[in-house]
Amino acid sequence: MKSWKVKEIVIMSVISIVFAVVYLLFTHFGNVLAGMFGPIAYEPIYGIWFIVSVIAAYMIRKPGAALVSEIIAALVECLLGNPSGPMVIVIGIVQGLGAEAVFLATRWKAYSLPVLMLAGMGSSVASFIYDLFVSGYAAYSPGYLLIMLVIRLISGALLAGLLGKAVSDSLAYTGVLNGMALGKELKKKRKRASEHASL
Amino acid sequence: MKQPLHLINPTVKAAAVFCCVVMLSFIYNPYTPACFYIIIVAGVLLAAGIPLKKWLLFTIPFLILAFGCVWTAAVFGKVPTTPDNFLFQAGPISINSDNVSVGISLGFRILCFSALSMMFVFTTDPILFMLSLVQQCRLSPKLAYGVIAGFRFLPLLKDEVQLIQQAHKIRGGAAESGIINKISALKRYTIPLLASAIRKAERTALAMESKGFTGSRNRTYYRTLSVNRRDWVFFCLVLLLFAGSFLVSLCFAS
Repeated sequence: MKSWKVKEIVIMSVISIVFAVVYLLFTHFGNVLAGMFGPIAYEPIYGIWFIVSVIAAYMIRKPGAALVSEIIAALVECLLGNPSGPMVIVIGIVQGLGAEAVFLATRWKAYSLPVLMLAGMGSSVASFIYDLFVSGYAAYSPGYLLIMLVIRLISGALLAGLLGKAVSDSLAYTGVLNGMALGKELKKKRKRASEHASL
Repeated sequence: MKQPLHLINPTVKAAAVFCCVVMLSFIYNPYTPACFYIIIVAGVLLAAGIPLKKWLLFTIPFLILAFGCVWTAAVFGKVPTTPDNFLFQAGPISINSDNVSVGISLGFRILCFSALSMMFVFTTDPILFMLSLVQQCRLSPKLAYGVIAGFRFLPLLKDEVQLIQQAHKIRGGAAESGIINKISALKRYTIPLLASAIRKAERTALAMESKGFTGSRNRTYYRTLSVNRRDWVFFCLVLLLFAGSFLVSLCFAS
């Protein structure tokens, strides 16, 4: 946390807090669905719960962004009244670690779309291992579990990776991220494009 | 009014919940979670002074969720059906008693999780929880105060959404009716909402730094929290109650 600016931390927490509200809405939505269709109803929407990791890592581009942002979102979700209570913080740590592991593998250098989608899938795998034990998924038959895992992987890639990148890019275009890694990259890209045009 | 549970150190309270959840996740018999659930509900209603009506209202969503888990485990459980455990036939699927008992266990597990978390949320001040994490768990103050500052924006989000709505209206933006329009309007709300939140966060961070906030650990606190004997008594009591409900399940099993 030493290399982080106060600005980056507050911005990261504000984004995490906005998405904590989204997370909580999805939790209640998912709970009602799960009541009707069983826990598999969570799987198609599961990726939304990893989106903060992708957005924060993509915007700030520092080691720990994916993990810490997910923990903050979980913490706020807990304070707002998530069904899992303080346990949701552990879930946040697990999901954040899954995404962070992917960014670690690129040494926090690559932030292309495939990497972001892989980060979403990393969270999918980590959270699935958690559910296997704590949520008692281990009691289900292997075939059913495989279907669940595949849907969750797809959801993680699309809802977290693809959607997360789209949201961050639109934000960068508004100019509010000019002081951050993503905004700086966009500025450089624009400069290069205008140089190209004037030649 | 301060009830006994409100006075427990937030970190100790959270740790007690963690321990219970971890221990519960190794249990697949229905007796332990059921017994533990009754103990928690009785204990919380007595020691936290939460109105019964509020408690029941918040329990309803978890009942729905628990029901989903029960039938999923019963139908998609991994124990194969044999003549020994066969219960009844539901269309093409035969239900057996082993899977049903695991399902009931998972259902009560969810109810236990919900009761523990409601106990925590209803009796804990969010700011005190953050401060306790800094003082007891050595969480970085830079991060903690950043989160507390961000947490303050939460009530403002609703106003912000209204503001964006009015701005859209004044520029002749179509009012959203129907689900499809509402979903497509989501982007028009998300991006401005996030953008204004980021701008506010930037200003707040600037204000914090200009007032001398460095985020270093070497600082004083207006409110100091400590862990004393009462907290340890609470922690041990929770573990004992869990051990008690585990013993009950042993009695039933034999």
